[in-house]
Amino acid sequence: MKKIISLVLSVVMVCTCLVGCGDKTETWTVTCPWAPSGVAAVVSQKAASLSTEYSKDIILVADAIKGDAATVNTWVASTKVSDPELVFAGEGLFSITSILDPAKLQFTYEDFSYVENLYSSIFVMSADAKLGIDSIDSLKAYMEEGNEISVATNGATGSEAFLAAALFGAMGYGDQLKLVAYSSAAEAAQAVARGETNFAVSHQSQILETFQQGGVTMVCAFDGEDIADGPFAGVEGVGKHGYPYFRNRCFIMARSGADENKVAALKSLYGQILADEEVATWLSDTMLLEVDTMTEEQVLEHIDNVKNIVNEYYDLVAN
Amino acid sequence: MLEYIGPALQQLFTFENFLWMNLGVFIGSIFAAIPGLSVILCIILFLPFTYKMTAIPGMMFLLGIYCAGGYGGSVSAILINTPGTPHAATTMLDGHPLSKKGRTKTALRIALYASTFGGIFSALSLLFLAPQVAKIAAQLGTAEYFLVCLFGLTIIAGISGKSLIKGIISAALGLLISCVGADPLTGYDRFTFGNARLYMGLDLAICLIGLFALVEILGKAEGKVGPLKLDTSKIKTEDKITKEEGKRMILPAVVSSIIGVIIGIIPGTGASMASWFSYDRAKAMSKHKEEFGHGSVEGIAAAEAANNAVTGATLIPLLTLGIPGDGCVAIMLSALMINGLNPGLSLFTTQGDIMYAIMIGLIFVNIFMFLQGRYLTDMFAKIVSVPQEILTPIIVMFCFAGAFSVNKSYFDVVVILVFAAIAWIMKKLDMPTVPILLGLVLGNMTETNFRRALLLTDGNFSIFVGSWYCIVFLVLIIAAISMIIVNKMKEAKKGVVK
Repeated sequence: MKKIISLVLSVVMVCTCLVGCGDKTETWTVTCPWAPSGVAAVVSQKAASLSTEYSKDIILVADAIKGDAATVNTWVASTKVSDPELVFAGEGLFSITSILDPAKLQFTYEDFSYVENLYSSIFVMSADAKLGIDSIDSLKAYMEEGNEISVATNGATGSEAFLAAALFGAMGYGDQLKLVAYSSAAEAAQAVARGETNFAVSHQSQILETFQQGGVTMVCAFDGEDIADGPFAGVEGVGKHGYPYFRNRCFIMARSGADENKVAALKSLYGQILADEEVATWLSDTMLLEVDTMTEEQVLEHIDNVKNIVNEYYDLVAN
Repeated sequence: MLEYIGPALQQLFTFENFLWMNLGVFIGSIFAAIPGLSVILCIILFLPFTYKMTAIPGMMFLLGIYCAGGYGGSVSAILINTPGTPHAATTMLDGHPLSKKGRTKTALRIALYASTFGGIFSALSLLFLAPQVAKIAAQLGTAEYFLVCLFGLTIIAGISGKSLIKGIISAALGLLISCVGADPLTGYDRFTFGNARLYMGLDLAICLIGLFALVEILGKAEGKVGPLKLDTSKIKTEDKITKEEGKRMILPAVVSSIIGVIIGIIPGTGASMASWFSYDRAKAMSKHKEEFGHGSVEGIAAAEAANNAVTGATLIPLLTLGIPGDGCVAIMLSALMINGLNPGLSLFTTQGDIMYAIMIGLIFVNIFMFLQGRYLTDMFAKIVSVPQEILTPIIVMFCFAGAFSVNKSYFDVVVILVFAAIAWIMKKLDMPTVPILLGLVLGNMTETNFRRALLLTDGNFSIFVGSWYCIVFLVLIIAAISMIIVNKMKEAKKGVVK
């Protein structure tokens, strides 16, 4: 019996090796340095699940290793130019951590070769329903009364914290603002719903359920124009009033110096996946995100825009 | 609800669903039983398998892993005094001593029966009470969370052994270690010594490997090579739970299941806290307190019923509010979202058949966990008769591989060695290591909620008496501390404690 099992195993091994010899398929691991349940990781998983439908040469495998800068540091240190490895990086690392705590980053933008941006997310600010604030004007009126306010954010120094600081700072009410950090966006959403804080800044999908249950009202969206579609359609964009804003974006990066043809092939694959109508519908209906492919110039512009906001409102967040 | 049950059953009762359910249960049991391989790692590894599935089989597979993981962690805790998962550390306190008495199968079966009871109790709570319970959970805020954690810290007295002072020192060390990493409210580094790897803090699963698994190996290395020091000759087929033991299991299993559900609905708390709470309650209620720590049937039943009762309860805030109760459930949230399902109460009406199929499926997952466990118990029990020189290197290998796999980092391998050294020194000083774990589990949550509560009120402590929930928790804390003082005074008179 043992001989038969050994023989079968040997044959399987040889066959596997032979199959592998003629295989031109390359498997690319896409490391997401944030929580496996986060927006970026979920979108990455969705894209990976469709890679084989659009390419015979490239298989994408989504991986999530929570660790933020530490994960990207390790990725940069251990990834060679020829390795089939990709990593996510966003404005949080390039624009916020690089200013707040540069010692934490053992890399710069130059260590990467830009592949694609998958989506953009418009952050929204919700208010405790009891306050009855549902527009920028009613927010202004409330702040004019001299009320001190608290804003729940996911993390102490993330994009959400800087957006809240930028809004209230630009309105001239920075000294009335208190940022309260929660360990997840869902927790922050619940905090405002039960009246523990006055406001919360979050991704649209993270506040949707609370909004639908009537626990919160929507105040504004951190975008240039009003939200056009979906359950938050009509929510005012702060940009219309001249206040600063940015969208949340997460770029897929290869190691700097990676084969340009391979990077182009990856960009093309992501382009095909994002052009899939099912993916676009899923992104907009379930995740409340927008497909947002970008050129490298646009990426650099986005990073600089966020850096400017961080530099201007650094004190409100850091102190 | 009733209008969805029929279509839900129709969707659930397919060969595919039951196949994935069983596969999940099997994989989850094995993963959790191996020290170093965590349930969350298992779910992450197998998540891609669900990409091509629809929501129900995908969730059945992941729930199978999750629930069996709740039970599987007890196996290594009982057999080799090394908890496979953090919450199984409580089971270890009595499971291993009972196994040492030659009653390995009994210990494993108590764990299985209690786990199944807790799991089904929790699944029924999810099915019948989800929306109502979710509303209560949504009312609990920062102040209430802090008081729950503070109440949890009173458990230190129950797990300190003979010296309460040593137990408090040990727990304080755990609390201190939990401070390593980014300050939860400001984001600034603390105790990281410039090491970026420490920014995210120390992973509980990694600390656990060092504190319990490796130190056990070090302990063996100090002695002569021999069998596992278990009386394996006593492991016989007639090793069964007696009628009296069965009766004694009922009350702690019921109470612990209720505690497990209550803890489970509070996001971020998790199975470890439920196990410790339940163990402490079971000890307080027991007529055989002296057996706790020496192979108590009630101790094992309480710990296991509680940690499996968390499984269904953590799904309540997930499915009704979109808030994942713990890390495993957070990954399940992504599996639901990939299938286009955004959890929330509205989903109960728009996709009611799928929601109820998942909730009813959870009951079947627990039933299959029981059936598979019955067969696996006999197989697991044989591990204690494996020669130490074979078993020890395998455990060491899994410890290091497991530590590395959590974050794919060699740094974590160093961390387990440091924790093994700490645990070994503590062992030499006759200090209990279990309170360190409690400190690690509760430390971050306690600190974050305490400071956040004071931030919200500009330092006004009245927030801690601001709701009826707070007052109830405060009364419980005062009662627990009073009981500890009275008991310790009594024991001091008898000369039991130092």
